[in-house]
Amino acid sequence: MIDPATSQRWLYRSLFVGICMVIVFFQILPLSTLPTSVPGPDLLLCLTFAWVHRRPEFVPPLLIALVFLTVDMLTQRPPGLRVALILLAVEFLLSRHDDSSQMPFAAELLFTVSAIVVLTLGYGIVLRLLAVADAPLHLSMIQMVATILFYPLVAGASHLLLSRVGGTGDLD
Amino acid sequence: MANDRNNTEYMRPIRRIVVGGLVVFLLALFLLWRIDSPRVERFRANLTDRFVPSFDWALLPVTKAIEMVEGFQSYARIYEQNQELRRELRQMKAWKEAALQLEQENAKLLDLNKVRLDPSLTFITGVVLADSGSPFRQSVLLNVGARDGVVDGWATTDGLGLVGRISGVGRDSSRVILLTDSNSRIPITIQPSGQRAILSGDNSAAPLIEFLETPDAVRAGDSVVSSGDGGVFPAGLLVGQVAIGTDRRMRVRLTADYERLEFLRVLRSHANEVITDPGSLIAPAQIGPPAPSEAAEASQ
Repeated sequence: MIDPATSQRWLYRSLFVGICMVIVFFQILPLSTLPTSVPGPDLLLCLTFAWVHRRPEFVPPLLIALVFLTVDMLTQRPPGLRVALILLAVEFLLSRHDDSSQMPFAAELLFTVSAIVVLTLGYGIVLRLLAVADAPLHLSMIQMVATILFYPLVAGASHLLLSRVGGTGDLD
Repeated sequence: MANDRNNTEYMRPIRRIVVGGLVVFLLALFLLWRIDSPRVERFRANLTDRFVPSFDWALLPVTKAIEMVEGFQSYARIYEQNQELRRELRQMKAWKEAALQLEQENAKLLDLNKVRLDPSLTFITGVVLADSGSPFRQSVLLNVGARDGVVDGWATTDGLGLVGRISGVGRDSSRVILLTDSNSRIPITIQPSGQRAILSGDNSAAPLIEFLETPDAVRAGDSVVSSGDGGVFPAGLLVGQVAIGTDRRMRVRLTADYERLEFLRVLRSHANEVITDPGSLIAPAQIGPPAPSEAAEASQ
């Protein structure tokens, strides 16, 4: 028999993959094929970081790599580089959790924002060094700011979703 | 919870190894893509081909449903729209008369000239399944692919004007890089001055005109058509009109309706016949001096 904690873990891992698939599905809907001047936030990144802060066991590195590599492939990005940077960012965020398992939200926000900024800058710099045609700088900056602004919302929603699980997890 | 903590401490080195391995693998994949792009892109096309058409049943209805909601919202200003349409219809009637006359004249002239139109320009129509999903890439996915004989590099139009070119073909799907994508470069001719230039997308709604020899000869409103330069595209497909952008640079206002790309035509184009031996066409060998290759053959 599978013990309830393990089955619950896999349930939430598949829930994570499901949410990611829904987000990507709506991203690739051909609603408007005009170039946008204001790109929206990277919700997948918000979701991953928010879950990593709350329940890292639901988002193991292999799963993150799989999801983001698929998204890279589907959305015509250079494959791999961004995923590697995201994995490093996740490790950085987890290392901040070493001393205390619960972190005040201000600190969480601070670390996440710095991770997003470093991620965006590092990605842009490596692409420019290797002469890969990338998005214009101002567009990726707008997307970065939008991602940062949306992070508290996604974190709040994830908290509502995952805090109940935390309760039942404690019982085990 | 304590049990959990112990678990994570025990797992830490393993996690390091897993993450390290993954990062190395992903960076290697990125470098492989940078060095040998076509192979990875082919893999990407196959992956997309496996992945996206399986959501076909959901993609189209959801798109239509959202468009219907948007349509309901526009009912609010239906009166103004109606007036506007009536005005446009009146203008269109005038244009229709002009077009009919021109068509008759054109047919007469073609007949007089014994012009034979290119019979190889046939097309396949595909439905737009998905767009690129990223605000920085402008491309759409069509539901026709290698199965329907689509080949990389073919031009696509929406019936009005050029939309883009095929880049990446899977079995059941193919990707169209739009003219607005920052990787799109298309040879164009600007009428009536006949200037050649390159249309290069830059992620804005109106692509830039580059490498124009004499910009003075081009005015806003001139029509832009594709040129057959380099054998990339069939010549003479309407692209749009010249417009001056807000940054004072020459751009093209595209004719194709980029707001709603639903059905796209993929034009079958075939490689142009290349004439390889002009010498024997122009003059027989006996009269002129022997061509270098013939001389070499004779000496052997």
